[in-house]
Order: sequence, then structure tokens, then C-alpha cells
Amino acid sequence: MNQLIWRLHRQQVLFATAALVVLAVVLAVTGTTMAVHYHSALRDCAATRSCTNLPDELFQGDGFIIDLVSATVIVPLLFGLFWGAPLVAKELEEGTQDLVWVQGVTRRRWMTSNVSWTLIAAVLWGAAMSALVSWWRGPEDILKGGRFGVSFDITGLVPVAYTVFAVALGIAAGTLIKRALPAMATTLAGFALARAVVGLWLRPRYFSPLRQLFPLVNGVSGAPSGAWVLSLVVVGPGGQIYDPLSPAGIPTACHAAFFNNSAVSCLAAHGFRRLVTYQPAGRYWGFQGIEAGIFLALAAGFVSIAYLAVSRRDA
Amino acid sequence: MNAAGTNMAIETKGLGKRFGSTWALQDCTVRVPQGRVSALVGPNGAGKTTLLRLLVGLRAPSAGQALVLGRPPEQSEEFLASVGYLAQEAPLYKRLTAAEHLDLGAHLNRRWEKEVATDRLRALRVPLDRPIGTLSGGQRSQVALGLALAKRPEVLLLDEPVAALDPLARRAFLSSLAEAVAGGELTVVLSSHLLHDLERVCDHVILLAASRAQLCDDIDVVLESHKCLVGPRSNSAGAVFDVVKAVHTERQSRLLVHIKAPLTSSAWDVSDVGLEDVVLAYMGDDGSVTAGPLSLVGDER
Repeated sequence: MNQLIWRLHRQQVLFATAALVVLAVVLAVTGTTMAVHYHSALRDCAATRSCTNLPDELFQGDGFIIDLVSATVIVPLLFGLFWGAPLVAKELEEGTQDLVWVQGVTRRRWMTSNVSWTLIAAVLWGAAMSALVSWWRGPEDILKGGRFGVSFDITGLVPVAYTVFAVALGIAAGTLIKRALPAMATTLAGFALARAVVGLWLRPRYFSPLRQLFPLVNGVSGAPSGAWVLSLVVVGPGGQIYDPLSPAGIPTACHAAFFNNSAVSCLAAHGFRRLVTYQPAGRYWGFQGIEAGIFLALAAGFVSIAYLAVSRRDA
Repeated sequence: MNAAGTNMAIETKGLGKRFGSTWALQDCTVRVPQGRVSALVGPNGAGKTTLLRLLVGLRAPSAGQALVLGRPPEQSEEFLASVGYLAQEAPLYKRLTAAEHLDLGAHLNRRWEKEVATDRLRALRVPLDRPIGTLSGGQRSQVALGLALAKRPEVLLLDEPVAALDPLARRAFLSSLAEAVAGGELTVVLSSHLLHDLERVCDHVILLAASRAQLCDDIDVVLESHKCLVGPRSNSAGAVFDVVKAVHTERQSRLLVHIKAPLTSSAWDVSDVGLEDVVLAYMGDDGSVTAGPLSLVGDER
């Protein structure tokens, strides 16, 4: 069984390996350069006590690489499209299930071998990619606002879970639709939908956010470093939310201050503060764990569906 | 076991398969004794493919039951090892070579005669090291047959294996098959709508028409029990014979009948018939089926 799977899918594996090697080389070279810069810059700025410009200095000229790293967000989908969707659909499309399902191996075993190898490969590639990207983005995440932004979807555990999910979704779509191309389209739509619903609607609800008041200081958000800021408003002494478009909430004493750029300090003096709703940086792994769990559970569901469809005695 | 003490390789009772609201196969009751090479014939859409797929377990029956080697088709390694199946158009992995297919078979089956299969394909000059996609239809069929035989099944089901082949490749395929079954215990069911091809290798016939089994017996028994009667115009049938097909002219009738008891009446001119005549009579000349053994096809046809 294993030999058959390898023989039929070795091109896909070789292609994915080549892509991973290219990514690894690019990230290793630029990442190492960056790390060297980072450490020497840290030493320099510690000596001169002027570290504020560090982030901008560090990433000059790396725009393409940064885009490339951000683009790894779609890699799990590619595995779903090119490994998951055709796995069963291609056999059904070319009629080769009539050959392989009448050999001395039960359909269940055939499915187990195929699905396990594909999922194992998905985990390996997802983990390798995530490890590379997490390492590469380390300095940037420290310097530029933490791992809840772009980084969240391409570092840590979730890339592995997304890859497993995309592959499982692809396998189920291919098994039910029985043709590779429509199955790929379904995988694309399903993956985008699941990621959007979970990312935009579910994710902010994993933990109830912290709400904290910070002094109102010009140019400083007040949110703790690395946090995921959900909302940031100015509230008055009575707790009412300050609406910058309505002058009604502004103390009369501060009206004049709006014309000489001292509004913020005037408001602060009158008891206005900043209310920040956020998820602290320390919850990164908690969020990663929950989100990975959700996608792995969905993947398990899709694998079961595919199993049932293949074991059904009508082929 | 039937009354004669022969093991039945294939036995179905009231077997049916429905897709949506149409029955692809209905009330199909057939018995194929072990060691027979059975021709499964019938017009297109008669349910031949459906019957074969039900027997190998690629489809589940909607009604009735099937027994292959005494057990219902199931997903077990024992069952799969005992039944060989060659689907229509001989599906193979186009990018793999014949040699790779034989290697794979060795990995997928406990019993696998790789040497024998390799030698056979070599003898037939089938290139073993070229992707299947580059081979001719005849070569592909030979590879597929080789794969089906290499696991040494007890029952071999072949779905239209020669339909796409030219006469030469057809002959080569059928002699390969004849060699494989010679002297063995192998039971074969071979479907085709070209009866002519099958007469050479088969000793048993199953006729499916209008989703039902119209005939299922050894070919010599079929030929023995079907006669052509020519005599004075008459619609008579009864205890002695069933009329399969009748052609009437002004004065005389020409009947193809199924004999149930020895013919005593001397009113009939009795002659033997060929298998093709019998099959066509059951199917009706236009490919449709006479509704039952007693129905008559209209006058002056």
C-alpha cells in the first residue's frame, strides 16, 4: 500500500519539498543577516541610548521577503487543493478505483493508508514552514507590536492545524464530488469561509478581553506591548465614551485647547482617560491552542465523512 | 450445492439494483457452477455491468442477494483475494508502467504470481517499461487481464474486455483467457454484447435483457432444449414447449421454442438452432425483449 501511495504521489512530494527548500534557503539567508543586524544594532543603540528607530532600520529593503513570509498564509490552502482534493477524486475520475479497490486490500485499509500519509505529510510540511516563519519573524514581532497581527496566522501551531484542515476538507470534497476540479473549487471556498468565520468572529471570543484604563498621553496608545488591542476609546471622568465628532462631551475649559494642540493634556487634566480592551501578549499560546483545536476538530469531521463515503458499498 | 452436487461459484436470488427510480437490474436469479466460462450477454443497458459490480462488491444490492463462492460480496481480504475483476475499458494508472503495476499488485495481494504474469506479457510483446498511457488498447487490456489473473482468483469477472479491441487484439485476448482457464478451477463470467466472440471460449451463457435474466444455463443444454419448429399455422404452446419467438405466414408457423418434454407430435419439422439464434430470439430482433416465453411476436414479421 505504502509503495503504491509513494509511487502515485512522489511528484507532489518532490515538488512540495523543492518549494520548502527554497523557502528555507531564502529565510535562512535573510533571517541570519537580520539576526546579525539586530544584535549589532541592539549593542549600538544601547551604547547611544537611541533605540526608537531600530525597527525601521532593521527592515529596510526586505519588503519582498516580508511579503513572501506573509504569503505563507495561503500555503495550507495549496496543500488542500493539490494534495487533498485529488487524493480520492483522481482515482474516481480515471476509474482506477475499479482497479485498486478489487485488489486484496479492503477499501477501508486503502483509505487509512492514503489519508494517514497525506495527513502526516501535511503535519510535517506545516510544522517545518511554521518553524521557519516563526524563527524569521522573531525580531520583527518583538520590535513591532507582537504576534497577534499578521504573525498569528503564520506562526506557532495554527499553520499546522490549517494545513491538516485544508487537506481533510480537500479529501472529503474529492470523495463526495468525485471530480478533482470542482473538489478543488469547493476546497478553496470552504477553506476561505472557515478561516474567515473563525478568524473574524470566533477568535476574539476565545478569552474575555481585559479592559483597562490608561492615562491619556499624546502619541502613546497605552496598550501593553505585544497585546491584541480590540478597541481603544477615550472615556470621560464619569465613564462616558468621548466622541471626537461631538463637542458636547468636551469640557468647556478645553474648547480653547483644541486650537492650540494641547487638547490631549487638557482632557487628561479633566479626568479623561484611555480605555483599552485587549488580549494580553501572554495569551498567544492559549489562542494558538484553541484555534488549532478548532481546525483539527473540523479536520477530524471531514476525514470521517470521507471515510464513510468510501466505505459505502456503492462505488 | 445444487441437486447435481456441483458447487456454485456464483448464485444470485432476486438480485436487484435501483438507481433513483430506475432499476438497472431486477429480479435477477442466476447460477454459475464452478469451473464454467460464462458468457454474460444482453443488449446495451441490460444490467450486465451492474450485475458484475454487484458480484465483486463495488455496489450494494437494492434487493435480493448474491453469493460468490458461497458468501456475499464483502470488504474482507479473503473475499477480495478470491475474486478478480476487470472493469470496462480496463482502468490502469496511465503514468505507471506495466512492470510497476505488477509490483504494486505484489504489494496489494497476498497471493501474486509476478513471474508468470511478467513472462506472459513479455511473450505478448507488451512493453513492460513504458507508461501505460503510451500503450495500445490491446496491450492495455492484456496488462489488465494479466493483473486480474496474477492474483489467482477463483472467480474472474470481466466486463466487456474485448469491446474496444480490433479483431486481432480481440483474438489474442481471448486466447490468453482460454489459456488461463484451461485445466483450472477458475470460474469466469465474461460480458459482451458480441456473442460471436464469446462462443469460442464459453461453455455457459447468461442472457440479461430488460434488466432481467432471461436465460442461464450451459450452452450445450441451451442448444439441446431450444429447437426451431416449422409446421402448419398455429399458436399452440403448452406442456411440451414454450414459444420463445414465433413467425407466422399465411399457411405456416415458424417457432423458436424451449422444449420442456420430448417432442412427440410429428406435425412439426424440427431443426437445431445456433446460440446466436436463441439469444436473438429472447432479445427480439429489434433488441427489445418478448415479454415472456408465451407471448407471440405479431403476424407477418
